[in-house]
Amino acid sequence: MASDTATGDEAAAGGRVNFNTVAAAVFITLAVVLFFIIPGQIDKPLINLGGAGMSNLEAETFPQIIAGAFFLLGVWYLFVSFRLRQRNLLRDLNLEAITNVLVTLVIMTAYVWLILFLGFVVGSVIMVFVMSTYFGNRNYILGFVVSLAVPLLVFVLFTKPLVTSLPPFPVDEMIPNNWVIYPPLKYLSNKSIF
Amino acid sequence: MFESFLGGFAILFNPETVVMTFVLMSTGLFLGMFVGALPGFTTLMALAILLPISFFIHPLLGIPFLLGVYKGGIYGGSIPAILVSMPGTGAAVATTFDGPALTKKGEARKALEIALFSSVTGDLTSDLITIALIGPIAAVALLLGPPELAAILMMALIVIAGTSSGVFVKGLLMLAVGLFLGMIGQDPIGALSRFSFGITEIEAGIPILPMLIGLFALPEIFVAIEKKATEIIDAASVKISGARLSWLEFKGCLRTIFRSTAIGTSIGMIPGVGQVVAAFMGYAAAKSASKTPEKFGKGELEGIAAAEAANNAVNGPTLVPLLTLGIPGDNLTVILVGAFIAHGLRPGPQLMEEQGPLVFAILIAMVLANILFIFIGYICIPLFAKVVTIRKSLLLPLTLVFAFAGTWVFRSNPYDLAILVIFGALGYMAKKLQFDVTPLAMGFILGQPLEYAFGQTVILSSGNLVSYIFLERPITAAIIVLTPLITYLMWRRSMRLRRQFGAEE
Repeated sequence: MASDTATGDEAAAGGRVNFNTVAAAVFITLAVVLFFIIPGQIDKPLINLGGAGMSNLEAETFPQIIAGAFFLLGVWYLFVSFRLRQRNLLRDLNLEAITNVLVTLVIMTAYVWLILFLGFVVGSVIMVFVMSTYFGNRNYILGFVVSLAVPLLVFVLFTKPLVTSLPPFPVDEMIPNNWVIYPPLKYLSNKSIF
Repeated sequence: MFESFLGGFAILFNPETVVMTFVLMSTGLFLGMFVGALPGFTTLMALAILLPISFFIHPLLGIPFLLGVYKGGIYGGSIPAILVSMPGTGAAVATTFDGPALTKKGEARKALEIALFSSVTGDLTSDLITIALIGPIAAVALLLGPPELAAILMMALIVIAGTSSGVFVKGLLMLAVGLFLGMIGQDPIGALSRFSFGITEIEAGIPILPMLIGLFALPEIFVAIEKKATEIIDAASVKISGARLSWLEFKGCLRTIFRSTAIGTSIGMIPGVGQVVAAFMGYAAAKSASKTPEKFGKGELEGIAAAEAANNAVNGPTLVPLLTLGIPGDNLTVILVGAFIAHGLRPGPQLMEEQGPLVFAILIAMVLANILFIFIGYICIPLFAKVVTIRKSLLLPLTLVFAFAGTWVFRSNPYDLAILVIFGALGYMAKKLQFDVTPLAMGFILGQPLEYAFGQTVILSSGNLVSYIFLERPITAAIIVLTPLITYLMWRRSMRLRRQFGAEE
């Protein structure tokens, strides 16, 4: 495949060393690391099963082939990389894009925590409302209605017809049982719709 | 095979499930069209986030549901392409050549209807061809032993890796990453633990569902949020105007539709090419065959018919290599593999032998889905036209809700949410560094069967692999010898198409 450089959409060449060269170096390093970790990361059989002894085929054989292929491809990529004229699209990201992606990653991480501690519905309401507001929704009533309705619908869909489980709202831990909203919330929770 | 085909009817029309099958297929079509009609939301994303729903229902309900999403999504992309010149999916880019021009002329209704009828005609015809082909190919595939299967899997993986991205070696490297990730867990022969790094949650392997959703849905969300929702389409500007499509106008496009269907069907059977190229090829063929090529690009009905029939005709035939050999041809069918595997059905020759009637039931459902397709599409055109105007700021977080819920219900394990986010970030980085993640997903899915077939081959060879293959397995030897040549030819063809059409979803 000599004409690997002919990729069409590429624009800036940069220097001889470019992001592809760095990526190739990373792949080669990973291949070497893989070779080193294979012996320690693959269990040894206590007895020979499945004809393994008969054929000299071990659990390490395929990983070694892949590690070898990884290394050779990495070297090939390294040589090809000097001639590649691809644009590193990460460099095209402006401050707004980087901020938005990072904010979304933070929101996702927080969402995992919210789901685990407040249940799926409440966690999703908070996440959807915050994220939609951050990304430009200024109709707060609509935003809240959608934030509440869709997670409730998804919760009911997965817990009722599909008979699976999503984290429920921990009613007993979060709401004192003498509060007015406790009985209806407890009822909904028992019916697996909250 | 014919008995299996007849058995498929019996399974599909089982009174206990038939209604639900069609209800779910209709739901899938509706959701697919809905997502397809949203500019910036791809069919791939829709399939990835709706995949979990199919996990918890019978395969006869779940897989037709996903096929509905697939078909509907490819068609749905044409709606914003025609109305606001923004293709809902990459497959609809060629539709923007003539669709918006017709809208400007006040003939949007006609354009949307020809898109629908061409899509359904292309889809239906190619589905019928798929059913006709799948039996004989599966019968041949059944004669293959482990050495042949290993060689075919290897060849398919290399071809797909080579043709999926612009740079051959980058595709192969992603394939190697996928094969490595597929090795995490247990080896398929001795069931020995590999590469778990002491993390108990991955001792059985990386769960496929969070990985697929992460790789295919989250990067689309990241790309969509790079800009805040400033580009809001004004609802008042989206109008479906003009007369309806007449029978004579549709009849006038029939030759083009069938030409594009033939192009789309052929492309669907070749791994790694896809709907985008099919649509462009169909369009180019229609233009060169037309007596009035100068009208193309200025609001020609045939232009829409050509692109839409071709891209929808790809849908059915992509299942041929998948169901007969277990090879998914593109990223959309990779997700379908996830659905099959979740039900304990691993696509490949054995599946056709063991579950032939069920596979045919799914395929027959796919053909019948076209009837629902035309009804839902026709009735809901005005609704989907409004979908174009829905704000991204509300839809993107809701997509996350589906992605996280779907991941959670898989094993109810918080660790899976971390896997989802990690693969989402990996997919986004890969996109930005111009790596295609499709070979990674294929390597991950096909790595285990490849290793198993390879292991069986080594055992059969009694330690003398080379002489066994070249002296006793001539078909395997031929595949191995021809792999570089076929790979090169496919790669060259894919590069030519890429240069010609700049086609990349």
